[in-house]
Amino acid sequence: MTQADMLATVDTHADQDNGRLIVQTRFGEFEADARNMLQFPVGLPGFEQCRRFVVLSSVAMAPVQCLHAVDGPPASFLVVDPRLVLADYRCILSGPDKERLGVTGDEPLVWLAIVTVKEDQGASVNLRAPIVINPGKMLAFQVVPYDSLYPVKFPL
Amino acid sequence: MRITDRAPATNQGTIAVLVVTRKRNQAVIIGDAIEVRVLRIGRDGVRLGVSAPASVPVHRSEIYKLVCEENLAAAGAAAMPGDLAARIRSRAQDPGSDPRRTPES
Repeated sequence: MTQADMLATVDTHADQDNGRLIVQTRFGEFEADARNMLQFPVGLPGFEQCRRFVVLSSVAMAPVQCLHAVDGPPASFLVVDPRLVLADYRCILSGPDKERLGVTGDEPLVWLAIVTVKEDQGASVNLRAPIVINPGKMLAFQVVPYDSLYPVKFPL
Repeated sequence: MRITDRAPATNQGTIAVLVVTRKRNQAVIIGDAIEVRVLRIGRDGVRLGVSAPASVPVHRSEIYKLVCEENLAAAGAAAMPGDLAARIRSRAQDPGSDPRRTPES
């Protein structure tokens, strides 16, 4: 099951007829489900007031997705599964990290790394500080490890 | 005490500055659940023990600031390059690019 499928399965019990949102971002217009809102209890570093996000996908952008803030100052990020960048990418969560995500066992988690595009169309991906999502509880945060060997700017 | 480049999550009004001298094994309490204790004082640094609830993330400020800067750069970035997906796919097939891999000795 791909990460996109895992996020999509959260929606399978939902009524298809309501809760649809049209979301305008810098990367285009997307349709999202209001019930697929991710809670970021402490926001993102630099965007502490953004507490709710949606992950937006389109065929044209795949495998890149858009992480879009629904509240707080405007913020949209390009994100990608870090395992598509490095097949054996790993990030260890500490006990408090797991508690923050409401992780109790070995439930599947979704990982996203933020992509930075430069003016000259060069791009890098932040493998140092990935976003981790517990799709079962729709809780997420950006992991900020102090001893990761992965760089903040991994070239793409 | 002004926390560098980090806006308060809510409007918390005036930020107070506390300057206090602590000896080894002494601590300060922040709010009712966070304790910062001086564990060791060395020539080059002070070792602190921070006790906080899991809901309060604790970071080294320079690393938090680095991630802040990268997030701000990512949010202000140009449009997505048309070949980005292709670049990502080619990376996945090139395990030699993994920075954790060290040359075999």
